[in-house]
Amino acid sequence: MLRAMIRRTLLSVLILFLVAIFVFLATEVLPGDALDVYLSEDDVAVMTEEDIEEMRHDLGLDIPAPIRFFTWLSGAVVGDFGVTIVDQIPIGNIIFHPLLNSLQLGAIITLITMPVAFAIGATAGYWRGQRTDAVVSTTTIIGYSIPDFVIGTVLIIIFAVWIPLFPAVITAYNKAHPMELLAVSLLPAITVIIGHVAHLSRLLRAGFIETMNSDFVERARLSGVPERRIVWRHVLPASVIPTLNAMALYMAGVLSGLIVVEKVFGYPGLGIELIEAVDTREVHVVQAIAFLGAVLVVVMNLLADFAIIALDPRVRSHVSER
Amino acid sequence: MGKYKNPSRRDVLIGAGATAAAYSMGDLILPNTSLAAMKPKKGGKLTYAILTRNSKHKSLKTAKHPYQGIHIRTKNVYNALTWVDHDIQAQPEVATKWEAVKDDQTIWEVDIREGIKFHDGRDLTVDDVVSSYNFHRDKKKGTSFAKKMLAKVEKAGPNKARFFMKTPNAEFGWWAAEYRQVIMPAADIDKIGLDGIGSGPFKFANIDPKRSVVYEANQDYWGEGPYLDNLEVVYQQSMGSAMNGFRAKQFDMILGIDPAMVPQFEKLENTTVDIAKAGSQMLAVMPKYEGSPFMDKRVRQALTLAVDRQKIIDIVYGGSSAWLTNDTHMADFNEDFLPRGVVRDVAKAKKLLAEAGHPNGITLPTLYYSSYYPEIDRVFQVMAESVKEAGITMPIELKQKSGYRKWRVEDKKKTRKHRFAMGPVGPRNPAANLFRMARPTYNESGYWHPNPKGDEFIALYKKAMATGDQKERRAVYHEMQRILQEEVPTFFIIGRRSIDVFRSNVHGWKAHSQSWSGKFDTVWKS
Repeated sequence: MLRAMIRRTLLSVLILFLVAIFVFLATEVLPGDALDVYLSEDDVAVMTEEDIEEMRHDLGLDIPAPIRFFTWLSGAVVGDFGVTIVDQIPIGNIIFHPLLNSLQLGAIITLITMPVAFAIGATAGYWRGQRTDAVVSTTTIIGYSIPDFVIGTVLIIIFAVWIPLFPAVITAYNKAHPMELLAVSLLPAITVIIGHVAHLSRLLRAGFIETMNSDFVERARLSGVPERRIVWRHVLPASVIPTLNAMALYMAGVLSGLIVVEKVFGYPGLGIELIEAVDTREVHVVQAIAFLGAVLVVVMNLLADFAIIALDPRVRSHVSER
Repeated sequence: MGKYKNPSRRDVLIGAGATAAAYSMGDLILPNTSLAAMKPKKGGKLTYAILTRNSKHKSLKTAKHPYQGIHIRTKNVYNALTWVDHDIQAQPEVATKWEAVKDDQTIWEVDIREGIKFHDGRDLTVDDVVSSYNFHRDKKKGTSFAKKMLAKVEKAGPNKARFFMKTPNAEFGWWAAEYRQVIMPAADIDKIGLDGIGSGPFKFANIDPKRSVVYEANQDYWGEGPYLDNLEVVYQQSMGSAMNGFRAKQFDMILGIDPAMVPQFEKLENTTVDIAKAGSQMLAVMPKYEGSPFMDKRVRQALTLAVDRQKIIDIVYGGSSAWLTNDTHMADFNEDFLPRGVVRDVAKAKKLLAEAGHPNGITLPTLYYSSYYPEIDRVFQVMAESVKEAGITMPIELKQKSGYRKWRVEDKKKTRKHRFAMGPVGPRNPAANLFRMARPTYNESGYWHPNPKGDEFIALYKKAMATGDQKERRAVYHEMQRILQEEVPTFFIIGRRSIDVFRSNVHGWKAHSQSWSGKFDTVWKS
């Protein structure tokens, strides 16, 4: 089992390296550079091409791409993402607060989504084929089909414009106190939760049904174990295992999934920072955010794998045989 | 029912007199309540949303610096020597007077206003002006306009500064109003401006360098106002979110809205939509290298004659929020603006194309543009459709804004040619406007130079800059515009007017053609 875990870990490192190369190449093929965005039309109107080239040289934009990549990567592996191109500001300073804000929003969403999705999925699974299941299934399909920005806009119109309970636009600062952000996070959180609950509850429903049909549940029933005990003590825990991977990916994806909702509400998170970094061609910031996202996905997936290995005796024995 | 009788001239005169008398008596009997209500009220906070942000905004450490604030409107915190009013006239601010002391307009003396205090209580002196301009003209840290034009600045008296320009500049007053060229307390070049101390109507209170700024009133402001206690600027990434914020009453004002949104805002209660006299223009760079159809002047002339600009104004700008360009950088509110003799002439355009060897019409290279303005797609679609009438097929393509400028110009080694592409133009004074076509090395004219007419244009520009008399200068400007209208080195598509929207309880604000020149000194809320 230990060997399997080491193998998975090494594979994850390789994946991260490939992601770093891919993100770097993706930013390289984008047209223009940070200086191009930095200079205004007014600047350009009175500058010569030689002036612009001199500035480009001063900023190190004429250094060959492979050198820039390995310089960045050697820092990134020890947590130093370097500095921004134009302003020479440490990237850690730029992404620290947006990262915390996004993690906070992600945590709120996850904490609400998981139990709600679990309850809905289990309810639909238990009464599969009946009216409750039909209602839940239809509702979740609708919830899953509507894009976040549509849900967000509708919520804004209802709860910020018509009934002014919440702000339509979040104007809190990047460094806002967590409680200040919490107070204005309800609409963005609900926007994301609707889609996520719909998605996860369908997965959990399928897992629940599969477990309910399994041999050990049948044996428990034949042994006279009360139905409530079967559901709470056996089916519910067992039905989580098939969805662990999906849940891990979901949790890791919460951050990247927040980009849309952060844009709609102006939430000061990592998504807005990423959009801005792409717009301003601050490739080191883009690389850092993309790299962090990739690390999160890989680590969560790794944890899910370990959890499955540890929790599921079938997988454990299969891994041991190999 | 009585029979209607046409009123006689006598009846009309008697009626008019009675109405006038009643009106004046009314004024005597009842005080003018509307005027009383319009007396500025002190207090309150105004929040305005902006949709474009200073490309030089940086970290919290530098966010108070006039070059690096979230918004290029430095007027909230700082004063410059002059400012440009709503008619694009230079007006005194820190300077009370400026005059050329050499006939060729290269040396200017400026009288500095007495009694101005910085936010930290220090008096603003001529030393601060000299120090600020030494920073503005610094090769590495300065601002483009000052670096390009200012050779030296010195103290010439207790309240007088002397400016030595690199070349003649008859429009010093406008040059001194450039939004970055503000006056800061004297300090070393590495430190000046970083503390955010200005002499303007508001002081910095809170900043998030990427999202918003809150200002508080400067109670010791030397001019009228400010009436507001606080002013907040919030950057919004999209028009949709700005409108949501406005409808939810989070914002009192949005600056620079999409013309297509005007009808929606007009439907909202207690909302004022204000359209400035002018705003930015869109031009198309026409490359003039061997093999380009634009080498032939007749093709260029045909293209500008074929565009139905009025249709663009009617369809995209609701008939009012744009103006007819004159194929120069001048805006229609410039006193020196010379309208084109013919706005549109499809028959002449066809004739010119036939003479140029295209009797059956012409397919032009793709015209590229980028999302500088929210309505730009619609402008280009209507334009491309309208030139078809003259037999011109003009494919259009939207390019991503980031990297657009670098992409559309040639590379350093000239292995890639520059492209037929759109560029934006801000509204400025004639000298700044016409300078852009007087630069042989600048891409915007599509490398019209060297060219006999181009040489004549440059000579006229130099003459205008050395001509102190405004009327004489205007004659030169007209001559320069005639050259551009005949030669069409660059083709101007449309001029758009800046549009601001605000609640009806906001008073004293007027949309400014130069969005960076609007001032909140005398704005108040009822």
